[in-house]
Amino acid sequence: MERVPILKLGDLLIVSIQVDLDDQTVLALKEDLAEVVVARGARGVIIDISAVEIVDSFTGRMLATIAEMCRMLDAHAVVVGMRPAVAITLVELGLSLGGVRTALNLEKGVALLDHVRGAVP
Amino acid sequence: MKAAELIRVRLDAGQDVFVLRRLGRAAAELAGLEPQDQVRVATALSEVGREVYGPGAAAVIALGDDELLITLNHEKRSGLAGSEGVRLAGRLVDQVELDDGHVTLAKRLRPRPRRGRIADIRMGLARLAPVSVLDELRDQNRELAATLDDVRRLNAELQETNTGVLAMYNQLSAELEETNRGVVALYAELDEKSSQLREATEARNRFWATVSHELRTPLHSVIGLVRLLTGPGGDPLTDEQAHQIELIGNSTRTLLHLVSELLDMAKAESGRLDPHPTTVSLTDVAEHLHVTMRPTRERGGVELRHHVAPEAATLHVDEGMLVTILRNLLSNALKFTESGEVRLEARADDDRGEAVITVADTGIGIPPEQLKRVFEDFYQVPGSFQVGARGTGLGLPYARRLAEALGGTLELSSTQGEGTTATLRLPHHGGPPEAERVLVADDDEVFRAAARRMLHGFAAHVDEAADGAAALEAMAAEPPDVILVDLLMPRVDGHALLHRMAEDDRLSRIPVVVVTVEPQHAPEGRAVLSKHGLRRDQLIQAIRQARGGEA
Repeated sequence: MERVPILKLGDLLIVSIQVDLDDQTVLALKEDLAEVVVARGARGVIIDISAVEIVDSFTGRMLATIAEMCRMLDAHAVVVGMRPAVAITLVELGLSLGGVRTALNLEKGVALLDHVRGAVP
Repeated sequence: MKAAELIRVRLDAGQDVFVLRRLGRAAAELAGLEPQDQVRVATALSEVGREVYGPGAAAVIALGDDELLITLNHEKRSGLAGSEGVRLAGRLVDQVELDDGHVTLAKRLRPRPRRGRIADIRMGLARLAPVSVLDELRDQNRELAATLDDVRRLNAELQETNTGVLAMYNQLSAELEETNRGVVALYAELDEKSSQLREATEARNRFWATVSHELRTPLHSVIGLVRLLTGPGGDPLTDEQAHQIELIGNSTRTLLHLVSELLDMAKAESGRLDPHPTTVSLTDVAEHLHVTMRPTRERGGVELRHHVAPEAATLHVDEGMLVTILRNLLSNALKFTESGEVRLEARADDDRGEAVITVADTGIGIPPEQLKRVFEDFYQVPGSFQVGARGTGLGLPYARRLAEALGGTLELSSTQGEGTTATLRLPHHGGPPEAERVLVADDDEVFRAAARRMLHGFAAHVDEAADGAAALEAMAAEPPDVILVDLLMPRVDGHALLHRMAEDDRLSRIPVVVVTVEPQHAPEGRAVLSKHGLRRDQLIQAIRQARGGEA
């Protein structure tokens, strides 16, 4: 099972998923991320899925769970870089990832988090 | 319509679903489906696969004329009809068929698919084959076998190294053993030599003692006979005869004096000098010496003076030994002084707790290179002018031995042609000794001698023991008031000695002062002193505290 690296940038955590996600990997990511958020006191988490080709219902729900978990730990999560094919498939599956903030790319994700934090100190 | 099978995979575990998903995507691509459809097929397989995987489950990817067919065989007893996975998959592929033990997904291909030949597709998928669990196992087995080979080779190498090390060890230990044997032999030889030396010394002392004792008896007879001959009741003698007999008497007395010195020296050598201190008036001693020494001086021109400072007037010392030392020093001074004075002075050195007695003369002095040698047995300064011109050369060495037995020191300083000063230092403090008996347990002879000196006057008797076993014997014979214990000793060392003492009811109450070169290793709860730079006052104080603690 592969581990997804979690990078720290200021008070942001950047999770760049460069592998095809299987169930174990995504579960491990959830646990690792929770620990790092708490340990580093991160205020924002950016999950870059631009290299992920397949997001099924399980992975989609896990992304929503991760975002919810981050919120509970006082951090905002943004999913960035979703491929069009993935987006289409998720919509066809009926999963809209309602609780998850998204941005087109990393840069916009960072801007979004800055904005959010500016609005809610 | 017969579909061509492309690849078959097992779905034993969740991980296999992931494999199926990748294979499905690759198959869709090779079959000419759009990227979006490839993702749809893969996602659908992911959803359904999650529902059906388990022991015995498998999936077959096949290519029909106008559709991609994936059949999942499973052993789920319950129907999959209402399951979410099947429902979600149905949104992504064109058709989902359920029958007993099978789920078949169908995705329609484009009308004119630009796709490769079946064989090419199979090969393309097979290239992803490491993902198949069986293959993976095979790979793992192959790797394990390779690793095993490596381990075996490494093991063989280690074994070889081990043999080498063992051989080296054997050789080294053989060499060490040989060296050891040599050392043991050498040690035995040294031991033998030292015991021979000891025997020789003992024999010499025995010889001295016996000979001088045997010699004295006839000498006393001769002296007695001379006295009878010259006495008032004897037959009258001619002047010539009387003079000759007087000469015989004088020579005999001289000879007796020499023999006595030899006997004293033999006693000192065999360590049988045991001082019996009493309270002595130094003023009286000086007066007495002044009276007795003056007649031995037959010429004029030399004054014999003495001065005793009041604070040094009373000493606690063995009177006989003190008198012998002073008599020796004074007789030497008078012997080598033609004119001027011989002066005996006594004062107290409170800083060092010592009485300092000096005998200074204005005689011929001693050349600097001879100063040390005059303390050697039988040594006499060659070609020196000697007024009395007689002696054994034992006077000074004996005086020094007596001084050491009293816990003091005897030093000479001299300027040739101007005179010599002998300085006798003795422990000095008022009153009788505080302790009756102190035992010094230490294998270091030098330290025992030093301790004896420091304790002189403080303790009436100082016993010595060269190791713990000897200390136990000494304590059993005469329980001391306090014991000084060294930690590092042969046979029974200090720790063991303290342990044994603690176990013995009679010995456990004896106060202990540990005197060691390693105070940091001393047992807890004991008075501890370092041997380095140990001073008399420290030692006395420690003993007082140790005894006070017991009282």
